[in-house]
Amino acid sequence: MAKPPRVLVVDDDAEMRALLLDVLEKDGYEVAEAIDGAQAVLALRAREFDLILIDKNMPGPSGLDLLPGLRRVCPRSQFIMMTAYGDVPSYIEAVEKGAAEFLFKPFRMEELKAAIVKALGTNPAPSA
Amino acid sequence: MWRRWLRALGARLARNLTTRLIILLMLVLMLITGFFDYTRLVRVRERLVAQTQKDQRIFTETLALAVRQNIRRGRTTDELRELLEDILARPGLVAVVIYDPDAQMIAARLLIGFPDPEPDEAVRQAMSRREAASSMLDTPTGRLLRYVQPIRWPGGQTAAIEVRQTLGEMEREFHRAVRENILSRLTVLGLFVLSLVVLTRWSIGRPIRALMAGARAIGKGDLAQRIAIRRRDEIADLAEEFNRMAENLQTAHTELIHQSEERLGLEQKVQQAQKLAAVGMLAAEVAHEMGTPLNVISGRSEVLLGTIPADHAGRRHLEVILRQVERINGIIRSLLDYTRPRRPSLRPESAGAVLRRVADLLADRSRRRGVRIAVELPHDLPPVMADPDQLYQLFANLMLNALDASPEGGTIRVEAGPDPRLPVESRAGIVRGEVEGPNLAIHILDQGGGLTHEQLTHVFEPFFSTKARGQGTGLGLPIVEEIVRAHHGEVEMLSIRGGGTEVIVRLPLAVPNPAANESPVVATR
Repeated sequence: MAKPPRVLVVDDDAEMRALLLDVLEKDGYEVAEAIDGAQAVLALRAREFDLILIDKNMPGPSGLDLLPGLRRVCPRSQFIMMTAYGDVPSYIEAVEKGAAEFLFKPFRMEELKAAIVKALGTNPAPSA
Repeated sequence: MWRRWLRALGARLARNLTTRLIILLMLVLMLITGFFDYTRLVRVRERLVAQTQKDQRIFTETLALAVRQNIRRGRTTDELRELLEDILARPGLVAVVIYDPDAQMIAARLLIGFPDPEPDEAVRQAMSRREAASSMLDTPTGRLLRYVQPIRWPGGQTAAIEVRQTLGEMEREFHRAVRENILSRLTVLGLFVLSLVVLTRWSIGRPIRALMAGARAIGKGDLAQRIAIRRRDEIADLAEEFNRMAENLQTAHTELIHQSEERLGLEQKVQQAQKLAAVGMLAAEVAHEMGTPLNVISGRSEVLLGTIPADHAGRRHLEVILRQVERINGIIRSLLDYTRPRRPSLRPESAGAVLRRVADLLADRSRRRGVRIAVELPHDLPPVMADPDQLYQLFANLMLNALDASPEGGTIRVEAGPDPRLPVESRAGIVRGEVEGPNLAIHILDQGGGLTHEQLTHVFEPFFSTKARGQGTGLGLPIVEEIVRAHHGEVEMLSIRGGGTEVIVRLPLAVPNPAANESPVVATR
């Protein structure tokens, strides 16, 4: 059995993080969380992640600001940016900065899973 | 009453200087001609008197001759009286008297009612001088013409004969002539004044009254007032000047109204833009802040839904929660759609294809409501200049509205054609945007309850909704208006209370030749 993909969730909102972790864990992903950019950098230095799910709106540097730095730390990771509905300029900027996918909040869990599958270019991890 | 009328007439005439002068001149003219007429009459009378005197003299001389012959033949006084008796039949003759040399009346023939002759100074002088004398005698019954003729009496003495004749008939004639003269002049003067008054009234009074009425109407604000005067004089010039003034006033007034309307429209646009900007900022903020908690709610519900069995009663509650989250999401989306600046990328597009796509999308929903959507469009509809995404949003909004308004068993018709389908009578209407040149008109008709004119005037305002509270965002039609305007088209909404609503979207046709855009456009509606 292949090693499950590793996903890092970066979001300042605890409930959102908890939801995403629950859903992804249940789907068989190996997950970790970070509350902001600094924690994310620490997590990425500790180990490698296949996918980083990052919120745009966070106190301090935004997801968009963090994106280039995180990509440098972990160049092989895929990034999915999450932001509020209608934030088209952020979408464009995120794509320019190398985000693989983009999710407008609120999104359905099916959308999330589809986006992850697309970003990783693999079938979903087998359910645990 | 007459006096009052005359005074009123005098006042009317005196008001006009020209009239006054004309009447004065007329009066002087009449006095002069009257004077000449009078002197002519006096001369005629004098001539007549002279003629009568001459007749009297001849008559008296003849009579004297007859009397002398009678006396010479020794006729008695009685016989002389008989002679006189026959003579008195002569008209106008009132007395014939024969005096003897002692101035005694020896024979006389007199008419009753005139003063009796007596041998006065005139008789005595005629006898002493042996000269005939003619004179005039004023009596209470009128003037008398008398003629005294001496007669040679037998014995060398001189007697006399006197004849008196009345001028009554002639006098009466004269006075009648004078009276008639004065009367005819007065009549002419009266008629003249009367015709002057009537003429003044008709030729000046009437047009002036019309002018006054016009001025009063304009004073009250009726600037469309014009005066019709068909003549060629100063009054017509005045009326023309008046009409020109009214025209200028009206133009200025229209211009003013137009300007203030324009200013009002601009202010409204500015206000609308400010309102939109504020709503936009708020919506973006709300979308940002609420996106995460909404996501947590919907996500958790989904997770929960995945864990409970398919036949569990709790699923229904979770589905409601998910639908409500979707609804909040929809509100935020339409707010953002509405406030986001929209610059469509226009290109030739088939409106029919978009409409059929929208109808397909709504097929499930309409079937559940028992409403039929009948798209009756020809397949060769000309393409319009449109942004397909916005066109989709435009027609989706309109068809959703129609669906919400439709009763069960109703039909929504989607058609194309230049003219409205709802009958002109009793329909209220409102237009937003303005289309120029050749265009395609799409009609969406529902069989709902329709809208009042009052409601129609508000439907394009943001946050106005006729739907039940919580059913509509009040942003559907404002978005429609935005899209239509951005497409250089127009949207017309017609409605009959209780008779359904018709929305007509007119979009400019895609013109294959760009030069055709610059040629004078012809509106085809």
